[in-house]
Amino acid sequence: MESTWILIFPEIILATGGLLILCTGAFQEKKEGQLIFFLSLIFLGGAIGASVFVPLSGTSLNGMLDGGGYARLFSTLIFCIAFFCVLFSFNYAKNHSFDGDEYYAILLFSVLGMDLAAKAAHWLIFFLGLELLSISLYILIAIRRDDPFFGEAGLKYLITGAVAGAFLVFGIGLWYAGCGSLSVITRLSSGAQAADIPIMLAALALILVGIGFKISMVPFHLWTPDVYQGSPAPVTAFLATGSKVAVFAFLIRFCFHMPDPLWGPVQPILWVLAFLTLVAGTLTALSQSQLKRLLAYSSVAQMGYLTMTLLAVKMESGLFALAFYLMVYAAMDLGAFGIIASLSDEREDRDALEAYEGMGYTHPWSSAVLTFSLLSLAGLPPTAGFVGKVILFKAVLQAGAVSLAIIAIAMTVLSIYLYMKVVAILYMRPASATKPAFQMGLYEQMGGAFILTFLLWAGVASSPLLKIIESMVQMAN
Amino acid sequence: MNGFPLLTAIIFLPLLGGLVLLARPDRPGFCRMVSLGVTLGDLALVVLLVFLGMENAAGQWFRMEDYAWIPSVGIRYTLAADGVSLMLLLLTAFLGVLSVLVSWKQIREKVSSYYFFLLFTLTGILGVFLATDLFLFYFFWEIQIIPMFFLVGIWGHEQRSRTAMKFILFTMTGSLFMLIAIIGLYVIHGRQTGIYTFALPHLLETSLSIGTEGWLYAAFMLSFGVKIPMVPLHTWLPDTHTQAPTAGSVILAGLLLKTGVYGIFRFALPLFPLAFRAFAPVLMVLGLIALFYASWIALSQVDIKRLIAYSSIGHMGLVVLGLAVLNSITLSGSLLQMINHGVSTSALFILVGMLNERIDSRQFRDFGGLWKKMPVFSAFFLFFSMAALGLPGLNNFVGEILILIGTYRVHPVAAVFGFAGLLFGVVYVLRMIQDTIFGEFPGEETTLRDLEAREIIILGTLALSVLFLGLWPEPVLNLFQEPVNALISGIS
Repeated sequence: MESTWILIFPEIILATGGLLILCTGAFQEKKEGQLIFFLSLIFLGGAIGASVFVPLSGTSLNGMLDGGGYARLFSTLIFCIAFFCVLFSFNYAKNHSFDGDEYYAILLFSVLGMDLAAKAAHWLIFFLGLELLSISLYILIAIRRDDPFFGEAGLKYLITGAVAGAFLVFGIGLWYAGCGSLSVITRLSSGAQAADIPIMLAALALILVGIGFKISMVPFHLWTPDVYQGSPAPVTAFLATGSKVAVFAFLIRFCFHMPDPLWGPVQPILWVLAFLTLVAGTLTALSQSQLKRLLAYSSVAQMGYLTMTLLAVKMESGLFALAFYLMVYAAMDLGAFGIIASLSDEREDRDALEAYEGMGYTHPWSSAVLTFSLLSLAGLPPTAGFVGKVILFKAVLQAGAVSLAIIAIAMTVLSIYLYMKVVAILYMRPASATKPAFQMGLYEQMGGAFILTFLLWAGVASSPLLKIIESMVQMAN
Repeated sequence: MNGFPLLTAIIFLPLLGGLVLLARPDRPGFCRMVSLGVTLGDLALVVLLVFLGMENAAGQWFRMEDYAWIPSVGIRYTLAADGVSLMLLLLTAFLGVLSVLVSWKQIREKVSSYYFFLLFTLTGILGVFLATDLFLFYFFWEIQIIPMFFLVGIWGHEQRSRTAMKFILFTMTGSLFMLIAIIGLYVIHGRQTGIYTFALPHLLETSLSIGTEGWLYAAFMLSFGVKIPMVPLHTWLPDTHTQAPTAGSVILAGLLLKTGVYGIFRFALPLFPLAFRAFAPVLMVLGLIALFYASWIALSQVDIKRLIAYSSIGHMGLVVLGLAVLNSITLSGSLLQMINHGVSTSALFILVGMLNERIDSRQFRDFGGLWKKMPVFSAFFLFFSMAALGLPGLNNFVGEILILIGTYRVHPVAAVFGFAGLLFGVVYVLRMIQDTIFGEFPGEETTLRDLEAREIIILGTLALSVLFLGLWPEPVLNLFQEPVNALISGIS
């Protein structure tokens, strides 16, 4: 019995951390964030450490959580994402005066939700995690109560999130009706009737709609640009990386364990969703003139690449590609949104593309991190995005989806235009004197430097990382 | 097999030097000296490789290096040099030194990052010429584009930003489809043998159905065809040349275009011999069209850099013809012509760059009568123009004649058209000479600075290479012998 408690040690740390931060805030005379900031870093660091060192196991806690390597990989990734978001938050929160206990505590709770969603082996745990992360994010997005702009974004996310949740719950209900179990990883028992299949398919469709909202698959993506643009930049970074990784990790488990009679009809649906997401995400991104919206559509397109790879989820190479690409995706989107956060002043986020003209010379380091993130998003060497795309396309071709891979490559060409356009603005225009920006603070520099190093390192010397992922993938079932 | 990693040193020395420069952005003089030192050092390493290689040659390959890189996916870091790579390395290192020298006075802003990108490009190109693991090859193939994008986009002329974008879009479109083809080939090979690897020798043994081979070949050729560039994929080249700084044009014409031909020779041809033979007539026709069409368009240019850019397209058309005919004479001829074109076209771009520094124009209407004002410059100009139109005794003549003789044996009609196309070349070169060094000078200036010592050294070494390649091409052709024979016996 004791050994099962150790498995949720990271979650215990996070929950304790969140509560402790709230208490600290309550007893603090003057609201000042330094102490709370460090506390949240320490708890997140602890969670990372616990997540790395707690021994792996199979499905645990009565089949509620997946304690295997693959799930562990994602929850560690989510903790790291949160760690960097906190680093990028410090100055921004101070300048926008929301650096109290509530911001950091809610951030930790939302990490807890993501972690549960990523590890869930049971539909109830997944739903619990998803709601925890969503409700925390509603608050985080609208954390600047005085600003109607942020309120609007929060409301939009709330409404779409609620709709998605409703679809999901109904889907889960039908799923239960169909197979009599709420476990995600049960195989269809031999007793399952062919007559149950239509119900299961209906459940699947509803579940896919619900999840599709969360990971902004086309056609459920319309909230994405508005919410990304309307949220404070560090929260956008968190939303774009953490929640996506968490839900996608669950989606991978769901598809991986999907019984064959269902997997057959699901494949064409995924094909179409991947196609739509890729094409619509890339094409709409092309015409954006604001960086946050541009990156929002680009993250939609990135979800398209990942959805495409889901077709290969039943193969080891597919799992491998998904894990690596999600990691790389998190790093590059964190880099891009983190830099936006570090450059924004107290009035509004630095968003218009013209505001970035010539910044390569006034802000060489911020621009370098941003450029590397963009190169990586475009999939160009020597960045991690390049290796990620190669591995991903390999898996897709192995799964036999040749035409989809060719469409995806065509979209990659277009996306190169998209990202290089921003790079050209950074380096090939004279600096605009109209909008001076902050130089990066210490914590942002640390975060930026780490992300830059990671993107470069994973682009040229990724083999140790890939070895770890490989060994984790082999323990996936 | 892995002694001192000489090949790795050759590839990464420029990049290493470039990184040193980034640390000292405040001292342009220092940056110039370091870049010169690094490129000279790289040239010395290549020369060393030539001598070492001659001694311990094992078959086709002079030297190999092989390490595991990303073993989980079967990617290895494999470099190998044969005669063809060796000559191209020599050309790269040589033009590398010259492009540093050429930029000495032209580039005054952001000197350290300029040289960083220049050296970075060289690293990419050297890697392309040495890699024999397809993933590694592709890695270098794309990496050479990115610093070039910055070189054109930051230090180019008026339309630089737009042109840089055009350049990267064209080249990336081609290469991304090649990426899919490479991965496809890798997956097919893995399914057949159970060994997932990107190594060229293994992949050569893959058996492909005719249809698959055709598609994979088409994807490879799209990538190489953009780079060469073959008509109708050429439209990025004149713009990029016009807008690039002089060193950018030198690297572009002298080296980047050669990576396309090299790619066909090293990868597309041996991997897909059946498809290559099946589509050879198409290639021949495209090569001849390039020769005629580009020469014709060159004739009507008012911008001298554009004229030379179009002449490049024409010359590369002839090289493609030689590849398509595919016998040992035309193959050697094409390879030699690639080197020749690299030397003489770079020289022309350098001359135009020097002119541009003095007159601040690239239009013919601002030139004329230079023979009286700048005699040394004009003598060099005349010399390299003669080389470009294929005067016997100078370098281009040898390559052209080899290609055409080899073609005449199998496809006399194509050879006849080839000869006719060369005549067009004569016309536009003569027009270029007439409009620049003869006639009357239209401007106000009474005196124009003639060449200084640095410039004479640059052009002098190029002129010596032109003479050497033109009068005694034997050693170079000997170097090509082994690889060409290996290729021909491999595909038949």
